[in-house]
Amino acid sequence: MDTRKEKTMIMIGGLVIGVIAALLVFFGNPANMGFCIACFLRDTAGALGLHRAGAVQYIRPEIIGLVLGSFIMAVSKKEFAAKGGSSPLTRFILGFFAMIGCLMFLGCPFRMILRLAGGDLNALLGLAGFVLGILCGVFFLNKGYSLKRSYRQPVVEGAVLPVIQVVLLGLLVAAPAFIFFSEEGAGPGAKHAAVAISLIAGLIVGAIAQRTRLCMVGGIRDVVLFRETKLLFGFIAIFASALVSNLVLTAVTEGTYFTAAFAGQPVAHTDGLWNLLGMLLVGFACVLLGGCPLRQLILSGEGNSDSAVAVLGLIAGAAFAHNFGLASSGEGPTMNGKIAVVIGIIVVAVIASVNTFKKDKA
Amino acid sequence: MVYIATFYSHFGAVRFKKICEGVGMKARMMPVPRDLSSSCGTCVRYEGEEPCPGGAYSEEIEQVVEKTDSGYRVIYQIRDI
Repeated sequence: MDTRKEKTMIMIGGLVIGVIAALLVFFGNPANMGFCIACFLRDTAGALGLHRAGAVQYIRPEIIGLVLGSFIMAVSKKEFAAKGGSSPLTRFILGFFAMIGCLMFLGCPFRMILRLAGGDLNALLGLAGFVLGILCGVFFLNKGYSLKRSYRQPVVEGAVLPVIQVVLLGLLVAAPAFIFFSEEGAGPGAKHAAVAISLIAGLIVGAIAQRTRLCMVGGIRDVVLFRETKLLFGFIAIFASALVSNLVLTAVTEGTYFTAAFAGQPVAHTDGLWNLLGMLLVGFACVLLGGCPLRQLILSGEGNSDSAVAVLGLIAGAAFAHNFGLASSGEGPTMNGKIAVVIGIIVVAVIASVNTFKKDKA
Repeated sequence: MVYIATFYSHFGAVRFKKICEGVGMKARMMPVPRDLSSSCGTCVRYEGEEPCPGGAYSEEIEQVVEKTDSGYRVIYQIRDI
């Protein structure tokens, strides 16, 4: 497959994903949140009782679908390969702080695109911060940053996260008393499409993302590093198709799916500085991880246990964020959250430096 | 001949490109082609008669393939990938 074909495939994939994301909102997901890896992992953490924020507790089938969609596609294409051992604990910490940044902004890079497609202009500040964070990461990449190589591992190791997703699906369907679900009207956790719709959407997007290697961080990183726009076109295609879908839904249904404004946006705040800094932290941490939160889920489905550890870091970050008042709300960021983001930027910069400058040079 | 080398880190590719250029080979870094891998790292595409410009493959190299009319031919692959 040549570059042109790859680009076409990514664009088609992005267009399909944008439509699916918009439809998920139509079917019940929170506004501008057809997909949000950070929010959905946070909801799942809440459902498991890792935090007790009653507004955001639900085992999101989209996450289950994304991992299993990638897993099924990887197995069918003989690309499933269990590997890991590349600085797993460092990846856990990077995942942790990426989540702190996401919950300052109120969304992962995927939701940032969907927020833009819904007319949320606050996401422009997030995008600016995201690009700045990626530039920070690229600086270290070019100076020699590496978390060292990964190694082949037993198949079981690579299959752990997909198996956990099956268990989570069982818990979602069985809904035992020890699983927490946000009550009707309690907040974003109570808003969701039907399980089957969310699961199928996740499976499709997971499979597409595995085939196309779609990555929100990779798109901008590759443009900076190689002037290569392939992945960026996936990013743009998602935005364009979600935007058009939102406009169509607004025209043909009673709901409003697009409002261009800063104020009054769903699950968002208007503090531009902290939207920017939150996403700067996300962009920086994710370049060091080698991909955005979506990409970590997809790689986990392919058997990459390092990415699975990063996902666990994201989940732990979400639990901390809600247990210690770090997550923003529609009213804005919290002081604890601001301190955590500053600490996060410092920690990520230290990780970048230590893994860049303390080794042999070319 | 056109070869593509894939690496465990971006900087491995940076180093290898310097080695290629040091021996007068035309080389450029780019994202790993999808046909070669499902990972999204950096590779070096280089041209010349010798697939191993440094004399030996470093530990940073994951694999080296030769680009052919029908696809890729594996020249070198680290043992445990």
